[in-house]
Amino acid sequence: MRKKGTRNPLRKRYLREIKSQWKKYLALFLLLTLTIGFVSGMFVANDSMETAAQEAYEKYNIEDGHFTMKELPADALLATFAEEGIHLVKQFYKDFDEDDDLDGERDAKARVFAMRDEMNRACLMEGRFPEKDDEIVIDRMHADNSNVTVGDTIRLNGRDMTIVGLVAFSDYSTLYENSSDVMFDALTFDVAAVTPECYETLDGKEAYQYAFQYNERPQSETEQKEKAETLAEQLMILSASGGLIDDEETADKLEELIDAGEALEEEGDTLEAEGDALEAEGDTLEMRGDALQEKADALKQEGAALEKAAMSLEITPDVAMQKKAELEKRGEELQKEGDALEAEADDLKKRGDDLQARADDLQKRADALEAELTALLPQVKSFEDLEQYEDETNELKDFVPEYANQAIHFAPSDLGSDKVMCEVLLIILIIVLAFIFAITVNQNIEKEAAVIGTLRASGYKRSELLIHYVSIPVIITFVAAVVGNLLGYSCFKGVVVSMYYNSYSLPTYVTLWNADGFIRTTVYPLLIMAAICTLVVFLKLRLSPLRFLRRDLRLSRRKKAVRLPKWKLMTRFRLRILFQNIPDYLVLTVGIFFVMIMLAFSVGLPATLDAYKADITDYMIADYQVILKSAEDKDGNPVETSEPTAEKFDMEGLVSVDGPHIGEKISAYGYQKGSSFFDLPDEMKDGEVYVSDAYSEKFHLSPGDSVTLKEEFGGRRYDFTIIGIYDLPGTVAILMPQDVFDRVFERKEGEFTGFLSKNEIMDIDDEMIMTVITEEDMMKMAKQLDHSMGSYMKYFAVICMLVAMLLIYLLTKLIIEKNAVSISMVKVLGYTNREINSLYIRLTTCVVILGAVITSCLSFLTVREVWKMVMYRLNGWFTFAVRMDLIIETTVMVIISYLIVSFFDMRRIKKIPLTEALKNVE
Amino acid sequence: MQKEQHFLEVHQIYKAYGSGDSRQEVLRGMDFTVAKGEFCVLLGPSGSGKSTLLNIIGGIDCADDGYIAIHGDKLKDMDEKALTMYRRKHLGYVFQLYNLIPNLTVKENIEVGAYLSDHPLETEELLQTLGLYEHRHKLPNQLSGGQQQRTSIGRAIIKNPDILLCDEPTGALDYNTSKEILKLIEEVNQKYGNTVIMVTHNEAIQQMADHTVKLRDGQVRKNIMNENKISATELDW
Repeated sequence: MRKKGTRNPLRKRYLREIKSQWKKYLALFLLLTLTIGFVSGMFVANDSMETAAQEAYEKYNIEDGHFTMKELPADALLATFAEEGIHLVKQFYKDFDEDDDLDGERDAKARVFAMRDEMNRACLMEGRFPEKDDEIVIDRMHADNSNVTVGDTIRLNGRDMTIVGLVAFSDYSTLYENSSDVMFDALTFDVAAVTPECYETLDGKEAYQYAFQYNERPQSETEQKEKAETLAEQLMILSASGGLIDDEETADKLEELIDAGEALEEEGDTLEAEGDALEAEGDTLEMRGDALQEKADALKQEGAALEKAAMSLEITPDVAMQKKAELEKRGEELQKEGDALEAEADDLKKRGDDLQARADDLQKRADALEAELTALLPQVKSFEDLEQYEDETNELKDFVPEYANQAIHFAPSDLGSDKVMCEVLLIILIIVLAFIFAITVNQNIEKEAAVIGTLRASGYKRSELLIHYVSIPVIITFVAAVVGNLLGYSCFKGVVVSMYYNSYSLPTYVTLWNADGFIRTTVYPLLIMAAICTLVVFLKLRLSPLRFLRRDLRLSRRKKAVRLPKWKLMTRFRLRILFQNIPDYLVLTVGIFFVMIMLAFSVGLPATLDAYKADITDYMIADYQVILKSAEDKDGNPVETSEPTAEKFDMEGLVSVDGPHIGEKISAYGYQKGSSFFDLPDEMKDGEVYVSDAYSEKFHLSPGDSVTLKEEFGGRRYDFTIIGIYDLPGTVAILMPQDVFDRVFERKEGEFTGFLSKNEIMDIDDEMIMTVITEEDMMKMAKQLDHSMGSYMKYFAVICMLVAMLLIYLLTKLIIEKNAVSISMVKVLGYTNREINSLYIRLTTCVVILGAVITSCLSFLTVREVWKMVMYRLNGWFTFAVRMDLIIETTVMVIISYLIVSFFDMRRIKKIPLTEALKNVE
Repeated sequence: MQKEQHFLEVHQIYKAYGSGDSRQEVLRGMDFTVAKGEFCVLLGPSGSGKSTLLNIIGGIDCADDGYIAIHGDKLKDMDEKALTMYRRKHLGYVFQLYNLIPNLTVKENIEVGAYLSDHPLETEELLQTLGLYEHRHKLPNQLSGGQQQRTSIGRAIIKNPDILLCDEPTGALDYNTSKEILKLIEEVNQKYGNTVIMVTHNEAIQQMADHTVKLRDGQVRKNIMNENKISATELDW
């Protein structure tokens, strides 16, 4: 039995073994250290920044959501929130053109708030908050990107403002101008704050935005979502009803009542018209009666005059009799006329009575309807009362609950996903390196087979030898993990932080000790390394001491040689080498695949962005897309333009309810017949639509499929049948002719959203325009991605090539070392170095080239799938560029890396001594 | 067979390994010649320097002093490339532990030698001669020691080298197999007229040689020409 405290003497070999193969171990150590260091830095930076971002919720009192109204909302509308247990805070803002370098050119759009001291407070990063007019604080990251700092002057719509502080706005950690934007914009979008007094003096378009918090915070994500959806619906109804009602049922009921009221009013109007006609008829009758009376009076006077003349015998009796008869006849006629008039009057009276009865009935029904209205809405006593609410109707322009607010959430969630991705990359690389270590150990075991056999025969246990051979990989991994973590906390943390600060406007953070990160970057690599090496060594050490003494270490039964065709000897020789070294070449290919994935990303991303920029015109529906605030001007006339290329269009914001991204914002377009911007049929059935190819690709849709979409802020759902795919790669949209659009979305005739135009529309009042989407807006995403990641990609590609060189160096070194005796032997036989290189180097070259070509294709496809997964989380869609030239480029990069390494390999082969073949022993 | 005098000249060869206290002189002024077509045995105990000398003759190692000359061409005047060509054109090597290329079949191992020659022997015929035809598609680890050594001899002689260097070719073999191998080498020597230089510590083998150089402590102790050599089949030890 071994004396207690006596250590295994084999441990003395560790240092010597490392020293004897220091180049290989150094390369492995460097790869491990740098990878662990970077990932450790990533963990430390991410967790510290994530903690700061989480703490910001309480520290800066971040909202539960916000909404924007088209007009300044009525008090009644706002009062409802207090009743619903929601705390509202006004956060109006104005957007300005920002000139950072005072050259008179617009550099960015600035969203200026009055200092917010209750909700969504800002974190001061440098300087102080504004105290006077013309003092401003702006976003720290935008300031960095625009090369302005505290003390500099910027110009907002021509007004000079002095920067007194740089801040991180808690609700704009990622600079999303609109919640529906595909990508944030740290280059041409800025958020700023001034004193409330200064804000009032700033002359610009104002957005009526309110932040809100629930008095009782939702306890779960589901509750949070339900609450937000209910609130959005309420808000939409409230704004549409001028703050009168907030639920759909009442809205429907009210609509019914209003319809019934309107029918009654129409009936009343008819009655009134009928009454008026009756009255006019009465007047005519009266006039005719009066005329008849006059005639009767005249007849009477004539009769009296006749009687007087007859009595005074001024006329003869015959004449008198004759005239009397005439008078009687005229009297009879008058009597007849009077009777007819009386009959007409009776009829008129009857009709008047009838009309009165109908009017009484109408009044009764109107009273009942009003009673019903009051019962429904106690604050409304009559239909006339509704008019005051009608004056206060509004429109909900935007509703963004906190959980869906990209400006708040994107950065923290990106921090989390980056961490996961880095961890996955670390694990893959550790596995690759563990296999390289395992191959190294395996070779050492084969080289030292007789010694191991002797030691085992002398009584050494398998476990003692296993520990001995696994120790070096584990020790090197442990040292690399420790050094890597030290580098992670010191150098790499700064690198990662600066990367994030370059893209996100995050608040100040404190570096936190990250136990989880330490475990993942230390324990995991150690476990992986130990597990893989132990497995390989264990399988070898299972063999009997005799097998070791006989140097017979095959794990499988003797294999027959593969019969090869009668090719040239050198070809067969190479194939035999390939068959013998398949595990090594497999690890080499996996290593190349690992590098290729990183290379595909570093080469593919800039190419994707370049392609996107180059094809930007294809991605635009029109060069100018003018969205109006209203289709009618102040006087109620439709907004028109004299721009000859302009064409009206209609748009409705919908969201997906299923598929790979629930809640995806989908624009429904209504286009004019014979549209010059949409090459689509003029006639479609209701419910039939074309979908953009971006939508089709993202949601895997084909003609014939059905889709259900929902109102963005309401609960109404629409079912559509896809009849075709339209080439519109940048926009997730459905398209239909205007008349179909009007019927589907119950639009009034003549209603529209704005104009599409090839030229800038100059003759529409700015006040009428809500926004204009131009090429610049479409480029924002590409520019931002380019800024955030594109600039790093060249360096990343170089790092990838270095990693490729190290990996290929290690693996080809192992292959050459494994074949050293054979190489030495053929040298002894008289083979020249050139011939030997043609055997070993050319084979490896073929494997590397083939591996590079295959893995390059695979890696691009892999990255494309990963890219899709990322895009599923975002609004919008564009695909990762997988092009032949990029595949060739990455393949060439790996081949160049290999060629550099192969130079060292040739030197290594040349250095293999002839006596190596004569040793035959360890 | 008419032997050419001074085909191979070993002249005052000195060789030492290490330096300082650990310096060890392995060869100390070795001097002898070998005629063309001669079967020469370098005989000596362990540490006598016989393998070192063979490596120097084979151009694998180099002498500190003195020279080896073939046809009057001194190896020390040759650069690496010329030495490679020397090994390629003139030498065949047979080792104690065969040193076959493990991932090549028997036939392919022999073809590795054929590749080096402009006029190699016929592979199939040689395989028959070596008794390996049935095993030609086997890998070395599927063969017995004797078969492996026969393959090694095949690889060495297929290019019909001027000199066949054999380093303890029977050292790892049993008695009968050793005799088979010696017989094969003898046949090769007689059939193809190659000069054979064989290193061995087996004194019995000197009986089948034309010429025996006995070595001890890095020096030639005896240089014996054998007038009454016997056939390998008659050897006994």
